Amino acid sequence: MRIALAGNPNSGKTTLFNAITGSIESVGNWPGVTVARKEGEVKRNLYKKNEAIRIIDLPGTYSMSPFTLEERITRDFVRNESPDVIINIIDANNLSRSLVYTTQLLELGVPVVVALNKWDTVKQKQTDINTETLSKQLNCPVIPISAIQNQGLRILIETCYQIKGKKQIAPYRCMIVENVEHVAESDKKRFEFVSAIVTEAEKRKVTSDKQTIHDTIDRIVANRYLGMPIFAIILYAVFSISQSTIGPWIADYMVAGIDSLYVFAESAMSEAVSPLLKTLLLDGIIGGVGAIVGFLPLIMVLFFMLALLEDSGYMARVAVVMDPIMKKVGLSGRSIIPMVISTGCAIPGIMSTRTIKNERERRTTAMLTSFMPCGAKLPVIALFAGVFFQEAAWVGTLMYFLGILVIIFGAYVIRKINNDTSKKSFFIMELPEYRWPSVKRAFTSMINQGKAFVTKAVTIILISNVVVQIMQTFTWQFQLVEEGLEATSILANISSPIAFAMIPLGFGIWQLTAAAVTGFIAKENVVGTLAVVFGITNFINTEELILVSGSIEVAGIFGLTSVAALAYLVFNLFTPPCFAAIGAMNAELESKKWLIGSIAFQLGMGYVLAYLIYQIGTFATTGQLGSGAFAGLFTVLVLIGIVLLIITKNSVETTLKVQ
Amino acid sequence: MSKAFLMKGFQSLRGNPMDVTACEINELMTIKSIETIDPEMRDFLFSLGCFEGRTITLISILGSTYIVNISDARYSIDAQLAQAIKV
Repeated sequence: MRIALAGNPNSGKTTLFNAITGSIESVGNWPGVTVARKEGEVKRNLYKKNEAIRIIDLPGTYSMSPFTLEERITRDFVRNESPDVIINIIDANNLSRSLVYTTQLLELGVPVVVALNKWDTVKQKQTDINTETLSKQLNCPVIPISAIQNQGLRILIETCYQIKGKKQIAPYRCMIVENVEHVAESDKKRFEFVSAIVTEAEKRKVTSDKQTIHDTIDRIVANRYLGMPIFAIILYAVFSISQSTIGPWIADYMVAGIDSLYVFAESAMSEAVSPLLKTLLLDGIIGGVGAIVGFLPLIMVLFFMLALLEDSGYMARVAVVMDPIMKKVGLSGRSIIPMVISTGCAIPGIMSTRTIKNERERRTTAMLTSFMPCGAKLPVIALFAGVFFQEAAWVGTLMYFLGILVIIFGAYVIRKINNDTSKKSFFIMELPEYRWPSVKRAFTSMINQGKAFVTKAVTIILISNVVVQIMQTFTWQFQLVEEGLEATSILANISSPIAFAMIPLGFGIWQLTAAAVTGFIAKENVVGTLAVVFGITNFINTEELILVSGSIEVAGIFGLTSVAALAYLVFNLFTPPCFAAIGAMNAELESKKWLIGSIAFQLGMGYVLAYLIYQIGTFATTGQLGSGAFAGLFTVLVLIGIVLLIITKNSVETTLKVQ
Repeated sequence: MSKAFLMKGFQSLRGNPMDVTACEINELMTIKSIETIDPEMRDFLFSLGCFEGRTITLISILGSTYIVNISDARYSIDAQLAQAIKV
């Protein structure tokens, strides 16, 4: 049997899908989390029959408007997937809006079961819904459930069995309509029909237009002046917990484990093992991968916290706070959703830009959203915060806000380049009610992220580290690199010319450049490669780093000042993301011109930012400019010049066209 | 006398319906029309149950953002949208 799952955004569709199938897709307390099509098997303990049940999630949440505009998508879906039964999941707190879609589904000729979700909160609000009346009026079964609390699911699946193959007569049928005006007329009647049902079936003790505690909270957290500072404080708190207190505390234990693995592997290998294989295994694999895995607790704690925030409903308010700022640069609050998703991983973030209707806005967001620091960039941030800034939480917070600033500035530039003077797009955002975030779901999200992180570490990162290790061990003649002649290795040879260009940024050392370049494959590689090229297995425990480097300062290992370290960090965060994200950008931008422009823009952005931080920072701390200041200035001016030239050219062209 | 109150009086004198930006907070209003040249905006509002004859309540004003209640749900809308909804 095949069951299709259909419902409005934020009705709890993904939660129900997870509850029925036992899978762990990510959910958020805001509309439009799901973009890709999902399919799964119903858990065996939910029904008795032997036949397997497939459940297909209807990809309907492309926009916030699920009704009229998406009717066609629903119809196409039903035609292609031919489900036996449709489960229409609706938010019981919002019948009048949800039932419109239900009446449309009922017209499709496939038996429908209505799942009245969030039944637990309906009871809390003392709203009385007569399911029998609803069922009679709609002419289909109505089952109250709570997907979060796993209630009513068995009855729901059982009902699906009972109505399979049965005919249902749609209670409301739209007349055959020929032109657009008639559609609107028919849809208005549909709304009236639904209103009548709701009035009959629902008795609210508290009507929805009265002020609630949620509105009071909104007035504070979405306040024009308080909104941003509150967001900053919350982010700072998240970082100080994950990067400065609980995270490192757990990490210390893991690092001890990795260290003992290193020692064990070293002692287990007899003298007979070739020294080459030994370094490859110890420094390349255990060292490189271990250095990244050490950051796992920090990342998991961070994602736990972010999931709690997302689940609470707060992120929708962030979008509201950011909207006026984003409007000034030709975007809207809608762009915030991809940005927030990108803090996990830029790929789903870029994919979620599909929800934005305006093409330029969509492309601009897809091209800029990867500037938000993602999970893979966290080890890099944590490493530099740990080694150079005493694990300060402000480093991470600063990088997030810098990300937001860069996106705003980038959007401004792109708007100028496109010479787009079209009117600003309107912004509307549903404000879901606040709720206590579910620890269970945050835990699931954390485990998901952790799994993805470890999988990447033992595949892509492992391979990259082995390659880096080999390139570092051999010369072009495939001779082993002699001690003291490290600069003759393949890696050094390839990286040195690029390193030359990095001198004005404060890190013109081939080791650091090699790490930044491998970062384009996957950002975790930056940490892995640094571990390999500097031969360090443990980045978390800075005390050990002091031991490794003897009496020299910890930071001395990299040969960087704190300012140069910050510049290096910024360079890694704000240059193009990993290959996979560029692939996603290619898919969403649907234009080679935009893709090339995006990569060039990101490279330029990383370079200019790192240059400014290094040179200004060095001047501020030492009173002198850093090395290569003038050569760098020249490059920066050329880059800015190119952008200005394109802007002027496009603006002249538009003026000519107008004339 | 509040600004909204004055606006209301002024607009009703001219016989024009006022828009949501001039509503009083907590007052249940009936939508008279959606005035926009953007069909997308009209469809969008329609799909949320926001069209003539339906009701809307202004819940709060946060800077240039208006929090409204339409068909039992809370939405944050910008000034541009708020001005398009005539009540």
